[in-house]
Amino acid sequence: MGSTAYAPVSRRRRSRLLVIAAGTALAATALTGCTAREAFFFDLPEPASEQAAIVDNLWQGSWIAAWAVGILTWGLMLWASVAYRRRHQSEVPVQTKYNLPIEILYTVVPLIMILGLFWFTAKDQSELLTIKNDQEQTVQVVGFRWSWGFNYLEQDVYDSGLPVGEGTTNAPATLVLPVGQKVRFELNSPDVIHSFWVPAFLFKMDVIPGKTNVFELTPNKIGTFAGKCAELCGTDHARMLFQVKVVEPAEFEAYVEGLRAKGQNGLLQTGRFTNEGQVPGERLI
Amino acid sequence: MACFGGGRGFPMRIEGATFGLGFIFFVPLSAGYWYLSRDPVGTTALVMSGALAFLVAFYVLYTAKRVYPRPEDRLDANIDEADPEYGFFSPHSWWPLAVGFGSFVIVLGLIFAVWLLVLGIFLLLMSLVGWLFEYYRGAFAH
Amino acid sequence: MTILNERPVAAPVAVTPRKPSLGKVIVSWITSTDHKVIGYMYLFTSTFWFLAAGLMALVMRAELAVPGLQFISLEQYNQMFTMHGTIMLFLFATPLFVGFANVIMPLQIGSPDVAFPRLNMLGYWLFFFGGLTVALGFLTPGGAAAFGWFAYQPLSNAVNSPEVGADLWLLGLALGGLGTILGGVNFITTIFCMRAPGMTMFRMPIFTWTVFTTSVLVLLAFPVLAGALAMAFIDRAFGAVVFDASNGGPILWQHLFWFFGHPEVYILALPFFGIASEIIPVFSRKPVFGYKGLVFATLGIGALSMSVWAHHLYVTGSVYLPFFAIMTMLIAVPTGVKFFNWIGTMWKGSVSFDTPMLWTMGFLITFLFGGLTGIILSAPPLDFPVSDSYFVVAHFHYTVFGTVVFLFFAGLYFWWPKMTGKMLDEKLGKVHFWLLFIGFQVTFLVQHWLGVQGMPRRYGDYLPEDDFQLLNTVSTVGAALLGISTLFFLWNVFKTFRSGTRVEVDDPWGWGSSLEWATSCPPPRHNFTSLPKIRSERPAFDLHHPEIAGVEPWRASAVEGASR
Repeated sequence: MGSTAYAPVSRRRRSRLLVIAAGTALAATALTGCTAREAFFFDLPEPASEQAAIVDNLWQGSWIAAWAVGILTWGLMLWASVAYRRRHQSEVPVQTKYNLPIEILYTVVPLIMILGLFWFTAKDQSELLTIKNDQEQTVQVVGFRWSWGFNYLEQDVYDSGLPVGEGTTNAPATLVLPVGQKVRFELNSPDVIHSFWVPAFLFKMDVIPGKTNVFELTPNKIGTFAGKCAELCGTDHARMLFQVKVVEPAEFEAYVEGLRAKGQNGLLQTGRFTNEGQVPGERLI
Repeated sequence: MACFGGGRGFPMRIEGATFGLGFIFFVPLSAGYWYLSRDPVGTTALVMSGALAFLVAFYVLYTAKRVYPRPEDRLDANIDEADPEYGFFSPHSWWPLAVGFGSFVIVLGLIFAVWLLVLGIFLLLMSLVGWLFEYYRGAFAH
Repeated sequence: MTILNERPVAAPVAVTPRKPSLGKVIVSWITSTDHKVIGYMYLFTSTFWFLAAGLMALVMRAELAVPGLQFISLEQYNQMFTMHGTIMLFLFATPLFVGFANVIMPLQIGSPDVAFPRLNMLGYWLFFFGGLTVALGFLTPGGAAAFGWFAYQPLSNAVNSPEVGADLWLLGLALGGLGTILGGVNFITTIFCMRAPGMTMFRMPIFTWTVFTTSVLVLLAFPVLAGALAMAFIDRAFGAVVFDASNGGPILWQHLFWFFGHPEVYILALPFFGIASEIIPVFSRKPVFGYKGLVFATLGIGALSMSVWAHHLYVTGSVYLPFFAIMTMLIAVPTGVKFFNWIGTMWKGSVSFDTPMLWTMGFLITFLFGGLTGIILSAPPLDFPVSDSYFVVAHFHYTVFGTVVFLFFAGLYFWWPKMTGKMLDEKLGKVHFWLLFIGFQVTFLVQHWLGVQGMPRRYGDYLPEDDFQLLNTVSTVGAALLGISTLFFLWNVFKTFRSGTRVEVDDPWGWGSSLEWATSCPPPRHNFTSLPKIRSERPAFDLHHPEIAGVEPWRASAVEGASR
């Protein structure tokens, strides 16, 4: 009757299953060509801005603490599963109901760890988000359905792009920035919420209609970095790709001149870009 | 937990305290949130949550003062101390389905057509009346 | 006339009642006011929605396995993840809580039914019709809602989402939400007013405490959702400008939605934590460790969950970050207390891994990792790189799937004998568990790396040069395993229905502590023909094992087969 009718999985079989499970996990990891560092720290992309280095640092430190807590807790669970497994069908353990000192311990210690994490977080957060108004370049980013426009406010030129992907031959919209110069980004949208995400900058910020979001950032690595829209904005959300090219200041000046030569003077207005031909309130059914 | 009198028979004190503690949590939280963020939306939501907690806590604790300790509030109560007649439990009923269906028609009417909405309101009102009077009519009339 | 020639009188024949016709059975279900039947209907309908949304997930994973669009368009993909999220959260997990609470909670407090039986049934019908309304969108020409389960404005307004599926979504959820609110009212009233004598609040089982706390959260959160949905509908249908961009509408919607949305995930988590607290003691043969600590942790999680909503708005640049960061981090403390209490229950116990316990261990292993990634995400500077990426998708599947699905199956395997009078097959159950556990880890663990490397969520396609293909393919293989595991579950249910072993005792697991194990399997219409004396938080244990509990053996319950 009851649980006595079911023979518990034999010890050898269970440890064999555990080995198989662990082996599968390791094999899967190895197959993807992951290094141990990538595996355990979920490696963020190489930081490409001064601010990104701060984020990377906090990420590594937090994951060390997280893994420590995880290994301790999984360890306790594993120990309890193995050391206290049922040996005789009729055994009755001591019916302990509470232990106040231990309970207080595992309430207070996590609390202290949390407060520590908060202190580091608050410090880094204010460094990332404080607007100091000491920028050398200003770019107004316009996110619209379904690509990006970039107004270079200091130079009074602009560029914009088209949706990218299967069925199109469009290149992603390109934002060119000079390395080592602080850039002030102003984010605007004429239609729905988008999000300006450059994984290499370890940063994103939403682009919200009716609001201008601002942040400052100094790219410090030369290269071309992928950019993606990170807030669902409709059908071609997955096509709203862009890239950020960080170049030497001289190359940046040349690029700006090139835009001027193409006639892209002035700035893109942040009025409506796309009109799907629908009157507000009109229904398809 | 001696201060809550659980077991000494002060009725509904712990129940009231669960909502009361909620109220005590929301008041400084809303004040702190407003002071730090000046955000009207979140502050309103927190204040109203506190108000809900206060409403229930006040009702429970105020009513509890006029009620004798119930058997379920006493640690030493016996099963036969409960009321012999527990109360009336509806054995089965068509009216919840009718009220649910009426609400469904109202929703469809709001989306698709006014006449559906009117029909739905009529169905809902009829089924609400049917529900309320179910055990006062016909075989149950007295 | 002699009596010698009279034929002998035939012996009396036993009369067996005729089995009721199918029509009568169906009528008895749809007019039922029995909390158990209503609970079974909730469980059954929720499982149906789980399978439907699971199919949608398989479609999405099939599409994402390799770059390029193979099966569906981007617009259809948007409908898939919107409805997958909506159905899983609103039509599977939330009604599942209502279902389990309905079946088990009145039994655990020794009451004959809930406080408002007809209102209980109304809640089910509102869920039924609300779900129907939401899903009707698939049958319309414009398709179902495609703006994500959080329906951000202005994407979900009349200009950007003109399809009628969006209106059906808004009002269908409002209808279902009303049903949930009525359920919450019912549960709180039942717990406050209908407990058996001697069942003080601090003798209630932990599951009942979690049902109570969850119902309070429902009362606080769902009305805000209903209001927001109503205003969004009025914007769409009658040209109001509540959520217009010029009025700060987009951020207003996010605040309102997430003020509901965050407590919603605790509404999902808490009752299932309660199920874990019921199962672990039975299969460790020890009382739950730190009962009062668990109660206060539950109440603490409930209260704190109301104060963290804007951690979903970290990247909007519109909220006061430090407040939400500290409150979000603080929730980890009571959650950790619960974890250590569960481990403490197993500690120095006699642990056996029957299927309910196996599922609960799967939950403990999985949810822990979800909690750790949650701590990472709670820090805004760490959220900025990975918000709205597959890292978050992985996080919430580890926490929500880890809690709701694992403990859904745990609760089902545990309470199946109580509900149906039969045991589910242990062997099939173990196969089900291992296939699901491995399938889950393969599907979702790799998504952490995908997110960190830069794959956003809600993308129906990606470029070959993004280098996301390998991890996506691995994830799809895992999803296929998950799908297959479900077949074993369905087979188990079917096999048990046809030929499962009948349970003759009140407590087939042997070590139940709460009152539902002091009545028959299944219980009679009003739950108990007699109740045992209640002198602790383990009344059924005191009844069945008085020598261990240290109490005087009192009169065995009049219910047949109660004493072992």
